[in-house]
Amino acid sequence: MAREHSKVWMPLDNAALIFPAIRRKNWNNVFRESVTLTEDVDPQLLQRAVDQLMPRFPSFYLRLRRGVFWYYLEEVTAPPRVQEDYAYPLTFMTGKEMGRCCLRVLYYRNRIAVEFFHVLSDGGGAMVYLKTLTARYLSLRYGIDIPATDGVLDVQEPPAAEELEDSFQRYAAEHPIFCPETEAYRLPGKRELGRFNRLVTGVIPGDALPALAHRYGCTVTVLLAAVMAQCVLAIQAEQVPRKRQKPVKITIPVDLRRLFPSRTLRNFVLTVNPGVDPRLGTYTLQELCDAFTHQLAAEVTPQRMAGRIAQNVEPQRNKLLKAVPVFLKTPVMRAVYDRRGERLGCLNVSNLGVQKLPAAMAPYVERMEFIIGVQYSYPNNCSLITANGVTLVNMIRSTESPELERRFFSRLVELGVPVAIETNA
Amino acid sequence: MYCVRCGVRLQEGVKACPLCGTPVWCPEAGERGPAATYSDRYPVYSRQKRLTVMASLTVALLAAMVACFSIALNTTGQMGWSFYVIAGTTAFYLAFLLPLWFRRPHPMIFVPVAFLSLCLLLFLLCAYTGGRWFWTFAFPLTGLLAILTIGAVALYRYVKRGTIFITGGLLIAIGGGCLLAELFQHLTFQTPMFSWSLYAAAVFLLFGGFLILAGIVRPLREHLERKFFI
Repeated sequence: MAREHSKVWMPLDNAALIFPAIRRKNWNNVFRESVTLTEDVDPQLLQRAVDQLMPRFPSFYLRLRRGVFWYYLEEVTAPPRVQEDYAYPLTFMTGKEMGRCCLRVLYYRNRIAVEFFHVLSDGGGAMVYLKTLTARYLSLRYGIDIPATDGVLDVQEPPAAEELEDSFQRYAAEHPIFCPETEAYRLPGKRELGRFNRLVTGVIPGDALPALAHRYGCTVTVLLAAVMAQCVLAIQAEQVPRKRQKPVKITIPVDLRRLFPSRTLRNFVLTVNPGVDPRLGTYTLQELCDAFTHQLAAEVTPQRMAGRIAQNVEPQRNKLLKAVPVFLKTPVMRAVYDRRGERLGCLNVSNLGVQKLPAAMAPYVERMEFIIGVQYSYPNNCSLITANGVTLVNMIRSTESPELERRFFSRLVELGVPVAIETNA
Repeated sequence: MYCVRCGVRLQEGVKACPLCGTPVWCPEAGERGPAATYSDRYPVYSRQKRLTVMASLTVALLAAMVACFSIALNTTGQMGWSFYVIAGTTAFYLAFLLPLWFRRPHPMIFVPVAFLSLCLLLFLLCAYTGGRWFWTFAFPLTGLLAILTIGAVALYRYVKRGTIFITGGLLIAIGGGCLLAELFQHLTFQTPMFSWSLYAAAVFLLFGGFLILAGIVRPLREHLERKFFI
């Protein structure tokens, strides 16, 4: 991939193609993963850890560049400088900043946070980077030896080719499938001034949600999506007459590494939008859980996902489209995204699952967080992660009113889940 | 501490529930607020680049106008052709560049401003050349265009539903506007009436009527959506 004395560069993976095209002057698709340690972070040691990871993670230390026909990623001239965290998560990453590096490493008291522009990786790949960074930092700080297990990579090893591949190209089916979908209800809300994101974090004991999900015969993701759908249905019922109501659908990202034997650290995720139509009647939580479970079971299969991947990679492989200059492609991609990308779900419920840590590292870690930003037209999003026996449900919003959060967390409390609330403002 | 309304546990020291706003009564908590989970560092977004570009552009245009005026004055002894350059540049600046000074230019302010500047330019040109076409042709035609454009901007901006009906109605209004435009042309320049406007009006009426029909007939609309989806 790289010649000597020339910078490493790589084309965007199939999912990342859309992100540079759809970014706006006050919005782009950035997400954050963080780890809270038991002691305050030493920024100098953290900087050393960041520097040492550069050869091991060449697909993360990249900056966004614009070519004639496509955007591409190029190796950074120097690793990013660690900086103190901002007053709120996911502050807007400007084009200038992406031109330097598409990731930010932040620290605040005992927390290390990394914010990634989505062109680099998805939540699963980014978690490998964060775990390895934390392991390296803890090794430097406490002189402990942390084995390369449970998502931590060996820094001494060279990066494997499979870690850098665009797995979408490898696992695309021969025949694409097109799934026409109906538009979903759009949550209302008066936008915050500026680019401020309000975050409400629900801290829940790690075993509470699996126990509740077991009662309803579904997974934690389905349970939370169903509770969220119930809250959105209630908001729509109050604000829109039944005849004009739209389907309530929750966008759930699916980590394709669980379906295909991929080791890539780049994007390898697709979303599905299970939902219900409120014009057909009312739904109990059990009915919502059942509906979502069945819809996901029908959609999330290797065959259907491969067909959907094929549909996505088809335009990328089209020779005519390849030859269209990027300044012409960008507005078309943006128009398609506005028309289809964000209209098919009310909000995301993104679950990064239970994160295991190497035994040598776990005593130094209090908890882990995963926060996705709001979409351009959605005012709300929800993401969750479980680590060290604590589940953190992060609800972010760009609107003033916490109506959805209030309904969602109150409903969880009603269902017997103990929730402690933290906010950033 | 728990919120009595939501039932969630709250951070120590908060004065009200962040979800429902219910005040928290906890005498032993004291005046100390909750521990900060984020720093007090805010990002700084610079408007400098845009403002610098706008200021440079303004200075360059001013310099060009002054240069044109000086050249015209030195060569012909009067304002002459430089008048057209100065008036045209000023109108262009007011219509297209002035909104760029603002972070979020409001179209309901700057679209009327653009038409006013165009109207003023045409008036000055008419007066400067001694023409008699402003009040019977340029003014009503600009006014008509302004009404249609402002109406379209307002409808698309503030009416969230029925885009297909709005587009259909606008196309029909543009068709009617073509007839009026030819009437103004006929009154001012004594050209024959209905030489071109009838064809244009018929085309706009057909397209507008079809869109309204598609808006009313749902199967037709859904078929078109499927057919023309990019």
